[in-house]
Amino acid sequence: MSGVKKELVFKKIGIAIAFSPRLEALIAEAAKMQVGLKSEFIFIHVGNKSEEDVKTINEYLEKYNLLNNSKLIWQEGETVETILNICDEEQLDLLVAGALEKESLIKYIMGSVARKLSRKIKCSMLMLTEPKIESSPLKSIVVEGSNNPKTENTIAVAIEIAKAFKVKNVDVIQETDLNKAVLIRSDEFKENEVAKHKENLIEEEDKRLNYILSCNDCGDIKINIDRIEGKPGYIISKYAREHHADLLILNSPDRKLNLIDRVFPTDIEFALADLPCNLLLVNIKED
Amino acid sequence: MLGEPKQFNNITVYSSMNTSLSQQDTISLIFSLGVLLIVARLVVEFFRKFKMPLVVGELVAGICLGPSLLGHYFPNISTIVLNQHSNSMIAFNGITAISVIMLLFVAGMEVDLSIIRQQGKTALKTSFLGLIIPLAIGFLVAYYFYPLFGEYFTSSSKLILFSLFFGTALAVSALPIIARTLMDLGLFRSKVGMIIIVAAMFDDIVGWLLFSVILGMLKISSHSHGFIFTLGLTILYSVAMLTVGRIIINKSLPWAQKNFSWPGGFLSISLGLAFLGAAFTEFIGIHAIFGAFIVGIAFGDSVHLTEKTREIVNQFVTNIFAPLFFVSIGFKVDFFANFDLQITLLVLVLAIATKLIGAGLGAFWGGLTKQESIAVGFGMNARGAMGIILAILALQAELINEKLFVAIVIMAVITSIMAGPALQLLIKRQIDKEQDDLDKEQDDMFV
Repeated sequence: MSGVKKELVFKKIGIAIAFSPRLEALIAEAAKMQVGLKSEFIFIHVGNKSEEDVKTINEYLEKYNLLNNSKLIWQEGETVETILNICDEEQLDLLVAGALEKESLIKYIMGSVARKLSRKIKCSMLMLTEPKIESSPLKSIVVEGSNNPKTENTIAVAIEIAKAFKVKNVDVIQETDLNKAVLIRSDEFKENEVAKHKENLIEEEDKRLNYILSCNDCGDIKINIDRIEGKPGYIISKYAREHHADLLILNSPDRKLNLIDRVFPTDIEFALADLPCNLLLVNIKED
Repeated sequence: MLGEPKQFNNITVYSSMNTSLSQQDTISLIFSLGVLLIVARLVVEFFRKFKMPLVVGELVAGICLGPSLLGHYFPNISTIVLNQHSNSMIAFNGITAISVIMLLFVAGMEVDLSIIRQQGKTALKTSFLGLIIPLAIGFLVAYYFYPLFGEYFTSSSKLILFSLFFGTALAVSALPIIARTLMDLGLFRSKVGMIIIVAAMFDDIVGWLLFSVILGMLKISSHSHGFIFTLGLTILYSVAMLTVGRIIINKSLPWAQKNFSWPGGFLSISLGLAFLGAAFTEFIGIHAIFGAFIVGIAFGDSVHLTEKTREIVNQFVTNIFAPLFFVSIGFKVDFFANFDLQITLLVLVLAIATKLIGAGLGAFWGGLTKQESIAVGFGMNARGAMGIILAILALQAELINEKLFVAIVIMAVITSIMAGPALQLLIKRQIDKEQDDLDKEQDDMFV
């Protein structure tokens, strides 16, 4: 296992905005992020440029003290592809977009802008389900602790965000890999053999997570490691919902997701189908 | 059931026939079930000491009790154990038919569609070549050299079906045995281990689909529809069950778990649906086992299915119905009388070679080293219970003769036994060393 990347705070953040009722709320959320992360912001709008629209955005940016320390990119074209290109060109570390908690079946299968972006984007992405002008501070973060090379960085990001926004509780969820557990309990084993194999798996997982956590300075943050049984992706979403988490942090997908992944959901598709809270997909670029 | 009609004036009267077993037959059936279950368990536990798979013990129990040994030397005692000439055999055959349906349901539950999708191209390449090469070589050898298997065909369609079957028998893998072997060696979480598991899962799905098509085609009396139609029906059923069916199951399971007793409610519903699926596929001309297999996949994929529930279903089926099925195989043929060394060696060599080459090449193509690729080939080589089920169904469908059946069963057993030692020799040391290095690195971090 390589050493954890330090300085994972997102330095350059893009905010995808649209002229919807949530525009001001989205900009307000960006302002709060600016306070915590001290990043450079780029506001991205894809669509026709009108004087009135420019005036509206500038008013909001000025209201939230973002006018002088952020950039506004305005382009026309197909929304998703344009935003993805801008992310590449501007070398963004994080893209923020608003997303509905749940969409209709057809919309889910066809894909809304935010969800399409989350499946294709190469940088990290934050989906805000309920951006508010006056929102309460983050209290609880749930982050995945799965056996994946990306988990190291994902947990490190979770800890840094927790420190930046003074979050007291971070729950690291180890989803018991049901399939392996299922094969362990095969009738080929005696009861004590099953227990022994399960113990070995759990020990391995604990060791791995402890190693990751030991590489991070957690400060006053209370890290709680929880092991829950169920389908990876689905069970952590359910946990976040049941525990009223404010932010769910997952690894970005290992490959591009397509329609088949929506028909046969895996991992993040469970979360995307029904967002339990704000969702951050971490994808740290290699140097 | 109506008996012979009789005329009284202008009225036709039918006498009723006796539809239940006689007391003697009932005793015979229940006694057989009891003896077979207990003997199978004793033999299984004996073989477990030598780390042999369950199915080997069950098979040996049947061979010992059946015409091969007990039936040969003490036929009267063998008849007491299982009287193959009494009416109770009809009921017993019904039980074994249900057993194989339930076995395939459980096998379907073990298949994880998401893990297949998540694994990279290496696993897919391994599974693709691990399927295509044994299938193709098996087909060609069977097609052109069928007399070597003691088979003779007068119709070309039967020959094609036989060749397809033989290719399929070489292509399947035994997932539970592979999983157990990998777990025992501590290779389950290794890269090689995951590739083997995923590739075996994929090969099983395609193998059963193909076999169901073959059995379905055997039943078609007119050949105007043929292979394409049967394959189309099979795929249509699979797609419907794995999309709409899966969604319905996923939505109704939470309701059932909340409102029905546990685990009884789930057992009834899941097995009930498995039987309905099996009946449906049998009705449309595809074998019943495929219906149950696909229902199993649909259930197994549900996010609401807990490990405990899965375990209960598995234990219920594997420890009651599976032994009855595998023990009964020993009663089908005289294994010693139908043992043909040439055929057995031919089948064994083909099975090992094609799987090694296919899966090994696939793994190599996917980027594994030569040694890892060979290990993958051996890992996927185990045919186990799946190969045996294929063989018995083919025998019952009169697709193969007894000698070839015995050869395939022996091949399934030998390939299952050799997987562990081969993996141990080829890959375990290397992976242990890598793990030790990793552990040392982590321990140094803690210091």
